[in-house]
Amino acid sequence: MKKDRSARWSWSAALLVLLSMALLNIAVGPVSLPFRDVMALLLGKLTSIPGEVNPTFAIILYSIRLPNMVLIALTGMALAGSGAAFQGLFRNPLADPYVIGVASGAGLGAVLAMAASWPADFLGMAVVPAAAFVGAILTVLLVYSIARVGRSTPVTTLILAGVAVSSFATAMTSLIMLLSTEELHRAVNWMVGGFSLGGWTPVLASIPYLAVGLFFLSLLGRPLNVLQFGDDQARQLGLNVERLKITLVIAASMVAATAVSFSGIIAFVGLVVPHVVRLLWGPDYRRLIPLAILMGGAFLLGADVIARVVLAPRALPVGLVTAAVGAPFFLYLLHRAKANVGFW
Amino acid sequence: MNYEGYRTRKKGLLILAGIILLILGILSAGCSTAAEPSEVVAVPQATLPEPTDADASSDSSSEALVVTDGLGRSVSFDADPQRIISLAPSNTEILFAIGADGQVVGRDAYSDFPPEAMEIASIGDTYGDLNTEAIIALEPDLVLVAAITPIEQIEALTALGLKVYMVPNPMSFDDLFESLETIGRITGHESQAVALVADLAARVTAVESAVGGAEPVRVFYEVDGTDPTAPWTTGAGTFQQVLIEMVKGENIAADLGGWGSMNLEQIVERDPEVIIFGEGAWVPTTSESLSDRSGWEGISAVLNARVFGVDTNWIDRPGPRLVDALERFAKVIQPDRFE
Repeated sequence: MKKDRSARWSWSAALLVLLSMALLNIAVGPVSLPFRDVMALLLGKLTSIPGEVNPTFAIILYSIRLPNMVLIALTGMALAGSGAAFQGLFRNPLADPYVIGVASGAGLGAVLAMAASWPADFLGMAVVPAAAFVGAILTVLLVYSIARVGRSTPVTTLILAGVAVSSFATAMTSLIMLLSTEELHRAVNWMVGGFSLGGWTPVLASIPYLAVGLFFLSLLGRPLNVLQFGDDQARQLGLNVERLKITLVIAASMVAATAVSFSGIIAFVGLVVPHVVRLLWGPDYRRLIPLAILMGGAFLLGADVIARVVLAPRALPVGLVTAAVGAPFFLYLLHRAKANVGFW
Repeated sequence: MNYEGYRTRKKGLLILAGIILLILGILSAGCSTAAEPSEVVAVPQATLPEPTDADASSDSSSEALVVTDGLGRSVSFDADPQRIISLAPSNTEILFAIGADGQVVGRDAYSDFPPEAMEIASIGDTYGDLNTEAIIALEPDLVLVAAITPIEQIEALTALGLKVYMVPNPMSFDDLFESLETIGRITGHESQAVALVADLAARVTAVESAVGGAEPVRVFYEVDGTDPTAPWTTGAGTFQQVLIEMVKGENIAADLGGWGSMNLEQIVERDPEVIIFGEGAWVPTTSESLSDRSGWEGISAVLNARVFGVDTNWIDRPGPRLVDALERFAKVIQPDRFE
């Protein structure tokens, strides 16, 4: 059938886009490395044949660009996968990974850690992502427990509780920032784009959470399809709606919290990428979630190249690019889709 | 259902209690950090000026002194001001350095140098939110503001009938010396200011002759390394750039123009021979931690252990300590000229 062909094609297309973006991301930067040298270095690492390449290039590639590329790809995957899951859970096209308080909770955690002013450079830096993660998870659990009415968790209460708790956490963050003026600029820095620690540590620290979370999200496509009929109907069809909701909330929040902890609050990826995938390849969540994961990685990798190159030597926060590039692209897709079918 | 309702209400109360506790906790934590400046506010009257001795003689009191401030406004003085409020740490440092400290009755919360400045009443916590009432209550006859003071504040203070003089931001040592002498004239400490300038100028000249003809050295100045993959630095148009060039350094971020963050890979490629980072109370960076950062290992400055901290207050506050900064820059950038 036509559907199956388009399905198979969608997988290879998404993979191809992700791989080429990954290659582009390490090949292009403010310092131009000859493509031949990049390939020689990459292959040389794999085959352990020492290439005759400028040692500065080797440092730029291995210590700076490769770990950055992997972290950016993982972050994009986490945000888009989490966004797709939340849109399905809330049956709402405006849901994104931050809708029930991940971002504001992470912000509060990070600013609290910074206000505590830890002694050493490295310790202080590693504490901030950890505190951001704890803040995000606690906030989501608080929202979930507030939203529970008896034994069920209505979607509207969840969203409203999320909005209320988020505003509260944001207010507390501002209060702390105002009270500890010396830390203000570090905190602002974090709020604007987070900060990357550099190197492989953040990559290794985030992989376990992301792997488990994204794996679970990918498996939840079929029940999410059923949930689109509404809570009651899904229950009548034999779906354990509450268990699905709590699993989704935990898995999606965990990956989003991990991404926020190490890369800061990057807007638009979790909102736009699932929509793009939906417009390209349809609304079936069994495909939508894994494809959104792949395309989210690709999208953020592309945005990161622009962020690093466009004003070089000045570096831009990647979130600025995702919003500036993502919004017009999204509007274009929306315009095209309006002509054919509805897009939600 | 009734039971459910009861449970939800009970849970709601618990959550409310939790939220209130959280607010109280944060507020009390905030109060303990904010305690220091407010204690200072509590002591003010003890150190109010006894009209100063030396400057009474220098007061020729024939005609009004008219000076143009950093905003191009003419400010006239009939007599030496005796109740000065300084609204910038740099102004406070200058007033103390020229011996006008006895005339200072108020300062902004950031004026913490020299240590004796902390004994003067503090009137505001942040640059953007000065306590206008506290300023008025001190009945100042001169308010010294600086380029960091928001223009709205300056206008508001002027509109209240206060005499406001804006000390311009220097872009060279000559600018700084001119400011010092002007403030000396205004406050009736001209001779002290002239002596201070002579001393500072001699130190600047000594540095310049020591580094004369030296080979250029590539320098990276780090303002903030919170994100070690894209640290903040300073390019052309900043005093850091001026200092680096005066000691025959070559700022690798010169093309950045002003302040901005720079990609680590660009720093690696431009390979600075010396790295200077701004050191301050809130900066967790040390030479060791900077050298340990991932991706920084191949930079010449790190390989040769030429990574140094400089107190940011020396540079960020355009006052007499800029000369300390210049000497420090010279010694770390051209060490063989100072053996």
